[in-house]
Amino acid sequence: MLTVALQQGINGIVFGSLYVLVALGLTLIYGVLVQINFAHADIVTIGAFAAYFFTFVFGGNYLASIGIALMVGAALGWLVNAAIFAPLRERGSELLPLIATIGVSILLQNAMLLWFGPIPYAFDSPYSNKVIRLWGGMFITWQNLIIIVVSALTIALLYAFMKFTMMGKALRAVAQDRETAGLMGINPNQLIMLTFVIASALAGMGGAMLGPILVLTPFAGTSVIVKAFAIVIIGGFGNVEGTIIAGLAVGLIESFATQLVNPGLTDIVVFTLLLLMLAVRPTGLIAEEREENV
Amino acid sequence: MRRHSAILCIGVLASFALFAAAKPGFAQDKVIKIGGLFAMSGPGSYFGVQDKQGIELAIEQLNKSGVNGYRLEGQYEDSACSPLPATQAAKRLLEQYKPHVVLGEECSDATLAIMPLMEQAKVPLLNAGSSSIKITDPGNPWTFRIMPNEVMQGVDIATNAYKRLNARTAVLLYENTNAGIGNAKVFADTFKSLGGEILADIGFGRDVNDFTAIATRVAGLGKVDVIPTYTLEGQGLRITQALAQAGVTKGGGGQSIQLGTIWLPFGFEQKAGKAALGYIRIVQFDPIDKREVVQNFIRSFKAKYNQEPTHINAHAFDQILVVADVIRRGGKDSQSIRDIMAMTKNFSGVTGSVEFDKSNQNVKMDTIHYMETLPDLSWKALGWN
Repeated sequence: MLTVALQQGINGIVFGSLYVLVALGLTLIYGVLVQINFAHADIVTIGAFAAYFFTFVFGGNYLASIGIALMVGAALGWLVNAAIFAPLRERGSELLPLIATIGVSILLQNAMLLWFGPIPYAFDSPYSNKVIRLWGGMFITWQNLIIIVVSALTIALLYAFMKFTMMGKALRAVAQDRETAGLMGINPNQLIMLTFVIASALAGMGGAMLGPILVLTPFAGTSVIVKAFAIVIIGGFGNVEGTIIAGLAVGLIESFATQLVNPGLTDIVVFTLLLLMLAVRPTGLIAEEREENV
Repeated sequence: MRRHSAILCIGVLASFALFAAAKPGFAQDKVIKIGGLFAMSGPGSYFGVQDKQGIELAIEQLNKSGVNGYRLEGQYEDSACSPLPATQAAKRLLEQYKPHVVLGEECSDATLAIMPLMEQAKVPLLNAGSSSIKITDPGNPWTFRIMPNEVMQGVDIATNAYKRLNARTAVLLYENTNAGIGNAKVFADTFKSLGGEILADIGFGRDVNDFTAIATRVAGLGKVDVIPTYTLEGQGLRITQALAQAGVTKGGGGQSIQLGTIWLPFGFEQKAGKAALGYIRIVQFDPIDKREVVQNFIRSFKAKYNQEPTHINAHAFDQILVVADVIRRGGKDSQSIRDIMAMTKNFSGVTGSVEFDKSNQNVKMDTIHYMETLPDLSWKALGWN
């Protein structure tokens, strides 16, 4: 029983790590723009397809494909912000960019449906079926090990960037009070663009690592994004540390709910937690400080 | 002279027109409109793509000479393998296209949702891929099903598992849909009545991505002989791989045998790889069947699409053949198509034979073919039916 519990712990950390990568992008955008990006899921999917085609069509290395997906995600984030969201923000409406994210999401899904077709792709990385047997029947695939290591490194780098670099501090300043940050000489538009690029890069990278795990179709990202939204809320809107804790917690909760209850009930467990959090602590696990203009 | 030539041309054209009008079978100006409600988007969209191929091939072949003076025409709507979009698609199809007969859906939940609309519009619905018992029991007079329902399939699979595979323990894995729950329940009831034991009953939503946790749970249950699995292709792939990684199934060095249904398309084994070793599943079409209708279908399908046909292609092809058979026997509008279809007996198609009972369920079991996946990922026909 102990080994089963430990195995479910490993399973939970693997998926939790992926949830964190996807949710961090959402929380960064929310933190800076106070905006929900519904197209984030589709950037995850595009990242997965980018890694798939790089590996299987162009014969590239799977590990390199994670970098490719990161760059594709970053480029897409830049493009979508520059072409759609930035012009809409300039009009001063908060609702228009939100609706635009839904439009971009539908557009991307249908474009992928047209290009890639509806039939699920068999995206197995060279590491998907290589299993490391551990003590007591426990196991981990190389793919899952890569997910844990790459996610941990990425999260650590992002955390360091946000905490210790000038640009990271400027980002946090914009998140706290965009107008005052502007008065201090920070260009909010550049930092908003940077936020979109980083968030989308994380989504693309997450997609490359999710691809060999989930069912790769043009709608693949949507199955993860619902959980990612829940994680952002549980962790505290816009808070990086809270998102990391909540992401790992949701991954672990899902694994243990599968073991102890039924996988069909995992969503009920996660979303009950979400409702409890909203009722008891609406600011999430760690409340993000935000200036209020009075 | 020029005037005479013009008059002559008009005369010739008029003669052709009159001749054509007098020979409706040749002109095929009468049309039977066939609506198709299939998933073109979402996780079940591989059904729609393959259904469309089978339907278009059959229509193309039949229209070369016409069917009892009628030309067949098809139009599709995306019903997305889900009740709400299926209902909307059915309404669009009925209101705008006004079909004489409708084919679809593949997913039981979607089929159950569109059945009342078809009954209300008095348009026959011919289903080939849904397994929920509710579709024909109680069903309605306007819905017909070619494939064996979940009870027929489930009893057969459970009996074969117990008697031919000597299975005594099973774990049920299924998506939480009408079809998934229904199929799993029938298997469980039959298997238990024979003396078998269900060690775990594991249902999950279509949004579940990570099956490692489920495989870990199955691995912790001890000796599991068979794992009946009821999912669409995408989740099915990941389950099969996760079970192999956890060392549960033969593909991962374990002893358990996964049992599957017609939900999975051809090519599943190639996508799943070595993990699919020993997988036993039923398909609706046996490509090594020597009957002329089967071999003709395979030849013409390869010629048109340059690929091997799947059982989804085959049952879609058969749906059109059944409709054509009804038209040959006098079907000309929705009411007569329904009435004549209900009397279908001894129809022989690519997937097997068709004979509808009082509830419009095909009673023939020869549409089920058991296949086992070999180490080279090819199939061995088990010949259990």
